[in-house]
Order: sequence, then structure tokens, then C-alpha cells
Amino acid sequence: MTTHGGFEPVFCTVVPPHILDRLARNDDPALSGPAHRTLVRDSELRGRRRVTTEFALAPAPAAKAPSDQPLRTIYDAGHGTALPGTEVRREGGEPGRDATVNRAYAGLGATFDLFLKAYGRHSIDGDGLPLDATVHYDEDYNNAFWNGEQMVFGDGDGEIFLDFTLPIDVIGHELTHGVTQYTANLTYYGQPGALNESMSDVFGSLIKQYSLGQTAAEADWLIGAGLLAERVTGVALRSMKEPGSAYDDDVLGKDPQPATMDDYVRTGRDNGGVHINSGIPNHAFYLAATQLGGHAWERAGQIWYDVLTGGELRPQALFADFAGLTVKAARARYGDGGDEHEAVRKAWEQVGVRTL
Amino acid sequence: MRISVRRTGGFAGIERYGEVDTAGRPDDGEWRALARQAVAAGRGAPPAGVPDGFAYRITVDDETVYCADPHLTGEQRELISRVLKEGA
Repeated sequence: MTTHGGFEPVFCTVVPPHILDRLARNDDPALSGPAHRTLVRDSELRGRRRVTTEFALAPAPAAKAPSDQPLRTIYDAGHGTALPGTEVRREGGEPGRDATVNRAYAGLGATFDLFLKAYGRHSIDGDGLPLDATVHYDEDYNNAFWNGEQMVFGDGDGEIFLDFTLPIDVIGHELTHGVTQYTANLTYYGQPGALNESMSDVFGSLIKQYSLGQTAAEADWLIGAGLLAERVTGVALRSMKEPGSAYDDDVLGKDPQPATMDDYVRTGRDNGGVHINSGIPNHAFYLAATQLGGHAWERAGQIWYDVLTGGELRPQALFADFAGLTVKAARARYGDGGDEHEAVRKAWEQVGVRTL
Repeated sequence: MRISVRRTGGFAGIERYGEVDTAGRPDDGEWRALARQAVAAGRGAPPAGVPDGFAYRITVDDETVYCADPHLTGEQRELISRVLKEGA
């Protein structure tokens, strides 16, 4: 990697948490606050959803089966921050000149496809929710997020990150946050938060694998491949196959993800390390899926989906709670002592999560 | 006036930090006005965020406030952007 002319590492713009910890700026008086704010957010979201549901159900004379076709709308924020922005493509519309719009549209479709064809789920809420996405959000914006109602994509600054619509797994990741919100509603802090992140990585990767027709052995198991700018030393943002190996760069630092509980990171940053410790359940899924072989969305993915949507996974679930439920789900769907049961049980054992 | 911004979270989960000391700068007055408005609209504790959204901590001299995407005021957005760019 080249050095950046005049660049002072101490004052670098993008610094990983472990380095900042050393810089001793963590005299944060409110690290205990995030748990509270998450609870507030969850109750807000639940309230909003309930209101929306009642409003939507009231005028409908008879329940109508949701469509097997997605209902996509792409908006352009024009590098501003007002949401949703100007409508630029709606369901059935022809592809336009803007590749970002076309990628977002295709990615929403691929996500809808996996959930419907593999799991019989109609859209994010299971009831045909329209899929909205805004592209070109803000200027040089290095992020993508799910705001509780829609997806938002930045273009990246071109220096570190490229356009966030480039990797299809990033699109799938954001929409899966929506699926989690409508199902287990995992609290976005600490271990349940890392599980929430892991669900998005798992199904984000499965959406990519499904759209490419790959087997578990053929998949790259990377999250965000193609998102890093050329000068960054790294292949992606996360690796489910080998957590901690996705990047090692003089500006970005090193991928901080652990693969097993031995290296679990205790931190108040990043909502209690939700993007760090997700490496552990991510790796457990990779181990189970590759042990089983074939298409990962079929058996391993089905088991994870069963747990996410089965109603037993609590919003405050810890890794061990989730692991136990996947073993139970594998047994329930595929039989006691079967390959699936064994593969899932062994996967959690290998990452150091007990499944009693 | 010392202004620092710490950004956490985001899809990548990578942290950024920037700090600017405006004392003696020709645009000190402009920074002060911007910082005052950004802090006035901030919260005493981290507000509700969204999955993968950025969360910000803004410290101006000895006062610290919090805010989070996508609910920033125009002044907060501008201050954050300038501090992370110039003070990085």
C-alpha cells in the first residue's frame, strides 16, 4: 500500500475503535444510555407499525393475498438529505441511464425473490410491503441504512468507499434489517444487536448466492465485496468464512471481527460492538452451511429463517439463546440426529457458543 | 473554541474522529455560531438511531451532545462534515 503524502496517522480520518480506545477519548459519560435509547426506539417503531396496520386494514373489505410480485419504487435524493426524494423509477418501469438506480431496483427484486421463493415470505413484512429505496443520499456519503421504513444509499466518497448499491449483499443486508424489525425485532445493542447484524449479513450473503446460483463451496462469504475503493487494502468489509480478515489498511485499520467467543470484544462503541461481534454468529452460519454443502439458503438458511420468524426468539436474545433455537429448529424440521442437527450443533461448538 | 466530533456505527462499523481548535482562526466567529446552533439542537444522551445509521458525539469545549442519522439539523450536518474533514 502506498503512503498518503503528508498524511499523519495520529490524525487520520478513519480510525478503528481499538486504536481510538488507545487514544483515550472514551471518557464518555453516557455509554449506559444506548440500551435505554434502543428500548425507546423499539417502542416507537412498534407503535408506528401498529398504527399503520390498523389504518391499512380498516378500509379493506376482505383480506387479499399479497402479490408474488414486488412493488418497488426508487427515489433520488439528489445529494440532499430529504427523504424519500424524487421518484425516478417505479415497478415495471424501464431501466434508465442511472446505473445506481438500476442496481437498487435489481437488488430489491433479488431480495424479494429469495424471501419469496426460498421461504414463501411476501416482502419484508410478509404481507407485500412496498419496497422503497433512496439513492444518491447526501454528498460523499459513506453509508447505507434502513430507517425503519425504507432503504437509503450513499454514493461513497470514492476515496475509501464506492457506491453502496454496488454489492447486492449490501442491499440484501439493509432489507433484512426490515425483516428482523417485523419479526424477532432484535434490540440493536450488545449481543441481540450483533445477532440483528448477523441476520442481515447471513441473508445478505444468501441473496447474493441465490442470485448467482452458487453453492456454499462456491460462495465468497464476503460482505461488501466491491465496495472498497482501489487504494484500500482489503477485499470487503466482513468475511463470514474468516472473520477479521476482510481488510488490513493504513487508513481503515484492521478488520476487528472475532470468529469465536474466545475473542469476543467488550465495548460500548458501535452500539456495543454490533458490527464487531456479529463475526461469531456469522462464522457459525458459514460452518453449518459449508458442512451441509449444496445451496446454503436451502437447509442452513431455512433453519436460521425458522428461528428469526418462529416467534420464540426474544428481542433481548443472547448468542446462546439463538444458538439453542437453531439446534431445536434443525431437529424439528429435519429430524433428531440428522445431518442438519449435527452440523448446526457442531458449528456453535466450534465458535464457542454453548447450546444446551 | 475546541470542537470535536466522533462518529460511530454505520454499515462498515468503522469509527471516525475529528477535532478543530478555532482560536486565532480568521473564521472563528463563523465556527462559534455554527457550533452553538448544532449543540443547542443536540441531546444529552444518544438519541434513537436506526440500524446501520451513523451516531455522532459532538463536544464543544466542555459541553457534549449527541445526535444520529437521519435526524440531523442542517447546522449539525454542516458542523460534523467540516470537523471530520478539516480536523481529521
